[in-house]
Amino acid sequence: MEMSELTQSSAPRRFIGGQLLGSSQLVLGIILAVLCIAISIAAPQFYSEANIIAILRQCALVLIVASGMTMLIITAEVDLSVGASLAFVGCIGMAVLNSTHSLVLGMLAALAFAGGVGLFNGLVVTRLKVNSLIATIGTMMMLQGGVYLFTREAVQNHHRLVSFTDLGAGYIGAIPLPVVIAVAIFAIAAVTLRFTTLGRYLYAVGANERAVRLSGVRSERLKLFAFVVTGLCVGVAGMILASLMNAGQPTAGRGFELTVIAAVILGGTSLLGGRGSLFGTLLGVLVLKVIDNGIIILGWNQDLQMVVPGVVIILATYLDIIRNRANVR
Amino acid sequence: MSLASTETMRAGPSMLARLFARQELALLLCLILVIAFFSFTAENFFSVRNMTNVLGQASLALTAGIGCAIVFMSGEVDISIGSLLATIALPLIIIMNDTNSLLLGVGGALLFGLIIGVVNGYLTAYAGINSLIVTLGTMFIMRGGVYLYTGQRAIPADAALDSFIALSDGRLFNVVPYSAVIAIVLLAAFAYMMRHRPFGRQIYAVGGNPEVARLAGYDVRRVKFICFIISAMLATVAGIILAARVGSAQHTAGLNFEFQVVAATVLGGVSLAGGIGSLTGMALGVLILQFLSNGLRGLGLPTEWQLVITGMIIIAAVAFDEAKRRRIIGG
Repeated sequence: MEMSELTQSSAPRRFIGGQLLGSSQLVLGIILAVLCIAISIAAPQFYSEANIIAILRQCALVLIVASGMTMLIITAEVDLSVGASLAFVGCIGMAVLNSTHSLVLGMLAALAFAGGVGLFNGLVVTRLKVNSLIATIGTMMMLQGGVYLFTREAVQNHHRLVSFTDLGAGYIGAIPLPVVIAVAIFAIAAVTLRFTTLGRYLYAVGANERAVRLSGVRSERLKLFAFVVTGLCVGVAGMILASLMNAGQPTAGRGFELTVIAAVILGGTSLLGGRGSLFGTLLGVLVLKVIDNGIIILGWNQDLQMVVPGVVIILATYLDIIRNRANVR
Repeated sequence: MSLASTETMRAGPSMLARLFARQELALLLCLILVIAFFSFTAENFFSVRNMTNVLGQASLALTAGIGCAIVFMSGEVDISIGSLLATIALPLIIIMNDTNSLLLGVGGALLFGLIIGVVNGYLTAYAGINSLIVTLGTMFIMRGGVYLYTGQRAIPADAALDSFIALSDGRLFNVVPYSAVIAIVLLAAFAYMMRHRPFGRQIYAVGGNPEVARLAGYDVRRVKFICFIISAMLATVAGIILAARVGSAQHTAGLNFEFQVVAATVLGGVSLAGGIGSLTGMALGVLILQFLSNGLRGLGLPTEWQLVITGMIIIAAVAFDEAKRRRIIGG
């Protein structure tokens, strides 16, 4: 039992091919391919440049937060407060922008707040030993209440900073700026997780925290790190969202935490910790957003955007289990 | 080290400390403190009317909390109950509007709840999918399904059956709301089952150590399967009470309800890891949160502050509980 857990948890494998076959990512890749083919047959405009850019833009917000969340779930913790924090960050960032007219200060305020929320979650979980599911439900409630105490209505854009508008709507070449930011954050997180000692330890903490502690590494600090990183990702995403909506909306981000977690789980990261990869998360985000996009361009009822991902999460996990069983035999 | 700590356990703790070691007693003390505090500070708090009102409001979380706690004790989680509340209101209201019969409506709702429980239970226990993923998935599917079916509009109960209205407004002996009576009866029945019936003990065994439970000859999968059905059926009862209270099937009914119930259950000392906790503890957890939010409203604080304070108290309570547990174990 112990042994098999340990071998399973040596997650980052050496060959990309082996990694693809050895995890749920093959199933997910096939699902993504089938989805793309099916949608493009029914609606040829799926492959237009405009539509692909639209899909990527929608992926950006989820991918940014999912990058941090993947690290966190790999350490066997979870953060349900990211949706509430996302809304709060937008309001605070916008308020600071309005009073200082400085994008740098606005960004710093947003990052400080969201990072602070991550730090708080991390300290509660690592120092007070509160289960992270409960701790972050608590934080979620505090943030949901707190944002209304901060502002009852949307914080409007009174500063008219072009650089702020560009954050959500700008382009670098043909690629939207949010996508560039998301890819950069994703790449940093992926390299950290895969090629650094820190990344290895994050897997190790999730797989067997006691073993890590006994080998002389402070496991609490690793978890704290993952919480803060997740918080900082929320800070970036919150500012991009505020820029896209041109306002800080206290009601934004409802259910966002579930979308992010769904994408991470769909990508094959185990909720028990120690197993998963950012590449899987990327596929998970793409699958969810291609489905969303397909429903829109096929002209289906948009409420299906909740139903279909629900089916896909369960189905993908189930297929993964079947494939694992077949492998064992 | 461990020897020393058992020694101190035996000789050391005072009467008070030992009382605190009993989870339920500590919770009861908290509840009394909360009630006492608001009785002195908030107007009209300490009245029979207000107390029974709070009981009526707590009945939703109490009823669904039984199922949530039982699933936790079996070592799984069920976060689909909020969406379930909205889902089962549809057959309830539609059948009632068509047939003018509360019984048929409730029957339809319970059947729906049963199906949802079977799906959750089958996918978790027999297909072997992580229950958080399963119930996250069914939560999305049900909420989306309700939105699709209703076009995001409420369906009012046109029939206006007296019996249906009595579910929310009626009071036993003109004192205790029927919804609270239902919750208390269910709570007593399931608390008896958990403590004194073989199936209750099986749930603790399966949640505490599934491998040992299997070796002891228990059908682990069947036990978990049934736990999910119990959870869905009890959430259905909560959904029926909610539908009666708002007099319609609301597409947004039960949003975030699962989080409130999970929080109250854990506050009540039911461990997410399985095998630990009691329904009495869960009930006390629900009551503490309910009296707290009622009292804060009595003090004239806006709902936002209630959310903030509730969040803080949940974290503080679980942290305190965890610290106490570590001190007892001596770790």
